[in-house]
Amino acid sequence: MEGVVFNIQRFSIHDGPGIRTTVFLKGCSLRCFWCHNPEGIRPKPVIQFYPERCIDCNECVRACQHGATYLLNGERIFDREQCIACGECVETCYAGARVLAGKTMTVDEVMAEVLQDRAFYEASGGGITLSGGEPVLQPAFSYALLERCKSEGLHTAIETCGNVRWEDEERMLPVTDLIMMDIKHMDPAKHRWATGATNERILAAARRFAATDKPIIFRIPVIPTVNDTVEEVAAIASYVHELIGVRNCAGGDGEHTISLELLPFHKLAGDKYRSLDMEYRARELQPPSKEHMRLLTETALSCAVEARSR
Amino acid sequence: MFGVTESRELTFDQRIDALRATKLSITQEKQRIIGAMNHDDWGLILPPADRRELVQTMSASGMPITDALIAGFQVKSNHPSGGFFGPKAVGMNYRALLEQHPVYIDPVSSLAGGYMANFMSYRKPHWNPDLDFSFLHENQHQYGLGSGIGAAQHFCHDLTIGFQLGWGGLLEKIHHYRDVQKATEKNPEMLVQKLDFYEGLEHIVLGMQNWIRRTAEQARAMCRVESNPQLRENLEAIADINARLVTEPPKTFREACQWMNWYQMAARMYNGNGALGRLDVLLYPYYERDTALGILDDEEAIFHLACFLVRNTDYIQLGGPDEAGHDTTSRLSFLTLEAAHRLKIPANIGVCVGDEVDPQLLRRGVEIMFEDKCATPKFLGIDRTTEGFMRNGYPAEIARTRAYSGCHWSAIPGREYTLNDCVKINFGKVFDAALNEMMTGAGITPSIDTLYTLYGKHLRRAVDTIARGLDYHLEHYHQVFPELFLDLLCYGPVEKGLDASHGGVEFYNLCVDGSALATVADSFAALEQRIEQQHRMSWQDIYRHLQQNWDGADGEKARLMMKSIPRYGSGGSKADEWAVRLSDLFTRLVKEKPTLNGYNMIPGLFSWANTIPMGKDLGATPNGRHAGEPISHGANPDPGYRKDGAPTAMAVAIATVQPGYGNTAPMQMELDPGITKDEGGVDHIVELIKTHFDLGGTQINLNIMDAEQVLEAHKDPSKYPDLVVRVTGFSAYFASLSPEFRQLVVDRILTEK
Repeated sequence: MEGVVFNIQRFSIHDGPGIRTTVFLKGCSLRCFWCHNPEGIRPKPVIQFYPERCIDCNECVRACQHGATYLLNGERIFDREQCIACGECVETCYAGARVLAGKTMTVDEVMAEVLQDRAFYEASGGGITLSGGEPVLQPAFSYALLERCKSEGLHTAIETCGNVRWEDEERMLPVTDLIMMDIKHMDPAKHRWATGATNERILAAARRFAATDKPIIFRIPVIPTVNDTVEEVAAIASYVHELIGVRNCAGGDGEHTISLELLPFHKLAGDKYRSLDMEYRARELQPPSKEHMRLLTETALSCAVEARSR
Repeated sequence: MFGVTESRELTFDQRIDALRATKLSITQEKQRIIGAMNHDDWGLILPPADRRELVQTMSASGMPITDALIAGFQVKSNHPSGGFFGPKAVGMNYRALLEQHPVYIDPVSSLAGGYMANFMSYRKPHWNPDLDFSFLHENQHQYGLGSGIGAAQHFCHDLTIGFQLGWGGLLEKIHHYRDVQKATEKNPEMLVQKLDFYEGLEHIVLGMQNWIRRTAEQARAMCRVESNPQLRENLEAIADINARLVTEPPKTFREACQWMNWYQMAARMYNGNGALGRLDVLLYPYYERDTALGILDDEEAIFHLACFLVRNTDYIQLGGPDEAGHDTTSRLSFLTLEAAHRLKIPANIGVCVGDEVDPQLLRRGVEIMFEDKCATPKFLGIDRTTEGFMRNGYPAEIARTRAYSGCHWSAIPGREYTLNDCVKINFGKVFDAALNEMMTGAGITPSIDTLYTLYGKHLRRAVDTIARGLDYHLEHYHQVFPELFLDLLCYGPVEKGLDASHGGVEFYNLCVDGSALATVADSFAALEQRIEQQHRMSWQDIYRHLQQNWDGADGEKARLMMKSIPRYGSGGSKADEWAVRLSDLFTRLVKEKPTLNGYNMIPGLFSWANTIPMGKDLGATPNGRHAGEPISHGANPDPGYRKDGAPTAMAVAIATVQPGYGNTAPMQMELDPGITKDEGGVDHIVELIKTHFDLGGTQINLNIMDAEQVLEAHKDPSKYPDLVVRVTGFSAYFASLSPEFRQLVVDRILTEK
C-alpha cells in the first residue's frame, strides 16, 4: 500500500497528546487562502524552488528529461506546466534549491520512520498523527497506516478538515483514537469565500463525529478577516457546545471528550508560497496578539466549552 | 551603603538579588579587562585595580587565555628553566600566593572569601623541560591528540575528610603520617621524596590558615565601622566563624558552607579544580542537625547555598544512589536547586535521573529550566553510568559512589584518579591519516573497505600513543605539579606520602575521549554513497577537492553533493550506521588492553569546547566541511542533521553510540519548544530526558531558550548581560564568550534555517 507523503515530523508536540510523529499526506479538498502547508494542497508531488540557495550549476538542466527545465539564450527556465515532479533534478540539486514536496511511500517505509520514536510515545502517551493536506483524501493508505499503528500499539490521531466523503471518515474511526477537526466558520458563504467550499459537509461530519465515542479536539485557526471576531468564535464555540449535547444524548461524556483549540495565524509559510510560484494571499495579514487570543479563548470558554489557545 | 534603614532588614531574597547584581558587575568588569572568556565562569573576582596585571597563559583545560594576576607577587623558581617543580617548591609558592592574596568580604553574603588569581598562570614553563616525551610528539600531532600529559586535577576529592578534620586536623594528619613514613620508609631516596611531599602539603595548609585568619581579622575590622546593624551582625558572625575555621572543623550548616567555600575556591585557584561531587549528601548531616536544633530554616539554608554558588561554579551532583542503591535525594537536593534558581547565574549542577531516583527532582529541574532559561541544571543518566562503570570490573557498591564532578564526568570521591576530559583523540585527524595513506600509498586501490581498515590501523596507533602518554604522565607528573590540594582530601596520598597522580589513591581509571564522531561518520557515509554506490565522483576527484579545500565552482558543487547525504542523526541512514560502527571500534580498541603499566582506560565521546581548535587543526573533510571549520560536537550529530531538527531523532542517535563503560557521551541539546511550561512543556522535556536515558544515553546538557533572544544577543551581547547558556559541559554568560564561541551556540540553534 502506497501513499503520497510530503513530510514526516518527529517530536511533534502540538498535534495531540504527548510526543508524536506527524505524517503529512498530500492533497486537500479546501483552498484556504492562508494555508500553512501550501505544498500539501495538490495531490501530486510538486517541486519547490528556493532561488537564494541556487549555485547555478545547471545540474537540473542536465537531469530534466521532460523539457521542464532548460536553457534558453543562457537563461534557465523552469516550466511547471511540463514538470511531472519526477524528482530527478532534486536528486542532483546538492545545494538544496530544489525540494520535492511529496514522495510516494509504502506503509512499511513510513512505519520505519515512525517506530524510531516508539520509546518516546510510550513514555509520554504520544503516538502518530496523520495530517496534511487532508489525510482522508487518501483513505486506503491512511487506513492501512493507522491500522498498522494500532497493531503496533500506538496511539493514533487524525487531523481532518471534514470536507470529504463521510464513509471515508467513518472508515478511519475503528483505527483512530483521537480526532482533530477544523471548523473555520459557521457561515456557509463566508466559509466558501475563505476556503473555496461551503461548510455543510464539514458541520455534518462534526455532528457525526460527535455521535461517536471518539475524543475530539475541534480547532479554529484564528485568521484575521476570516474568523477573528468574538462573534465568529462564539458562533463556532456554540456549535461545539451543541455537539457536546449530541454526544451526551448518545450516552457519552461530551464535556470531557470534546474540546476546542484556537490556533493563531502565523506567517511562516510565506517562503513556501514563493518556492511554489503561488500567490500568498495572506501576505498582508498580521498574527493576532496574545491578548486577542486570550479574549477569544475566554469567549469560547463562556460558551461552556473546554478551550485553550496557543 | 545598601540604603537600608535600621527598621528594614534585607530579606534573604533581597540579599540574593544584591549578590547577583555584584556578580554581574564583576563579570562586566572581567569582560572589559580580560576580554572574551571561552570557559566556565569560575566565579573569579579580579584583583583590585592597583594590584592586577594581565598575562597571556594557558587555562587548566589547556586553552590559551588572558588572565589577571596579583601584581607584585613573584614565584620562586627551583629550576634553570625559570619554572618551579615538585611538591616542596609548588607548596611553598602556593603558600606565598595565599599569604599575599587580598581578602574579599561581601558584607551581604554569609560566606567570606573570593579568589582572584589562577596559580597555574604563574607556572612558566608548565612542564619541566628535563622530562622529555618528544618520542610521542609525531603521533600526538598526527592524530591531534590531547595526551593528558601534564594535565591537572579532573578527578574528585572527598570533602567529608575536610569536614571531619578541619585545617588543624589536616595539619596534624600530615605531621602524623610524615612521622610514620620517617619510621617505616626504608628506601632513602623514596623517603626524601616523601618528606618533600609532606612539606608541600604543610605549606598548603599553612597558607590556607593564613588567608582565613586574615579574613577573620578583616571582618572584625569591618564590623567596627559598619553602621547597618544587620550587616554588622553578619560581619561579626563571619569573623567568629572564620576565626574558628582556621583550625577547627565546621559544626553548623553555615560553617560547613564556609569551609567548603574556602576549600573549593583555593582548589580552583591552585589548579583549576571544579570538582565537588554530591553536595546534598555532603551537607546533609549539618542540615539535619541544625534544623533539628531549630537554628536553621530552609530559607536560610537556601541563602547560604546561594552565597556558596555565587563564588563557585563547581560541578555538583544532586540525588542518585548511595552505596546500597537507595536514592539520596533529600530536601537539601531541592534547596540546592532552589538556590541556583534564585541566583540565575552560571552554575553546573547535575540532577540524577534513574529508576530509583525521586522523579520530582527531574521535574523540578525542568521547571527551573523553563522559568529561568539559564541552562541549569543538567541531567545525569545515573543508572547507565553506574552499570557501565561496573563493566570495568567494579561491584555495584563502588560504582554507585562515582559522583558527577566535572563537565561530562564522574569520579569516586577521594579514591579514584581519572584525568577525565583531559585526553582526546580527534577522529578527524585519524581519518585524514587513513585517507592520505590510501590515496598516496603505492599499490593501494581505494575503496571504503580499505579506508576503514586503514582508519582502524591509525586509530589503534592513536590509542597506543595515548596509553604510552598516560603511563608517562603517571610516572612524572608528581615531579612537576603534584595534586597537593586535592591530595589533602583523598584517601591514601597523605597516608602513603604519594601524590594522587603517582599511586596515592586506590583506583586508576583513565579517561580517553573520542571527538569528531559526526564529522567522520558523515564523511564515510558520503564517500560510500556518492563514490561507491552512485559513482558520482572518483576517489581521485574527491581527494583533489579536499586538498584544494573545495576551491572553485566545481569544488563547491562537489562539497554540496557530499554534504547533502542523509547524515548521522537523520535516523536509519548509512551515516547513522557508520557512527555506531566508529564508536564500537573506538570502544573496542580502548578496552582491548590496559596501558603498558597496567592502567585501565575508559572510552567516552566528548570534545568539550575543543571543537574549535580541533577543527582548526584539520583539513577539509568529505562531509562537506571546509578546512579549519569546527569539528562536530561530542557525540552530537552536526547541526542540520534533519529538516525537522527533531530532538527525539538526536536522542535516539546519541543513545546508540554510547561506549558504555561508565564514561559519558553527552547529548548537547538546544530547544526552543515553542510551548510554555504550563502548556505541557515540562512533561515533554521530562519524557524526552527520561527516554534518552532509558535508551542508553548517559548525560544531557540542555539549553531551553528563546531562540530569537539568543540571535539578538549574538548581534549585541551587551544588551543581554545576564543571558546564560550551556556552551558544552559548562555554562557561561553569553556576553563573556568570543564571537567565534557564540557562533558555535548560534549554529546549533539555527539547525533548521
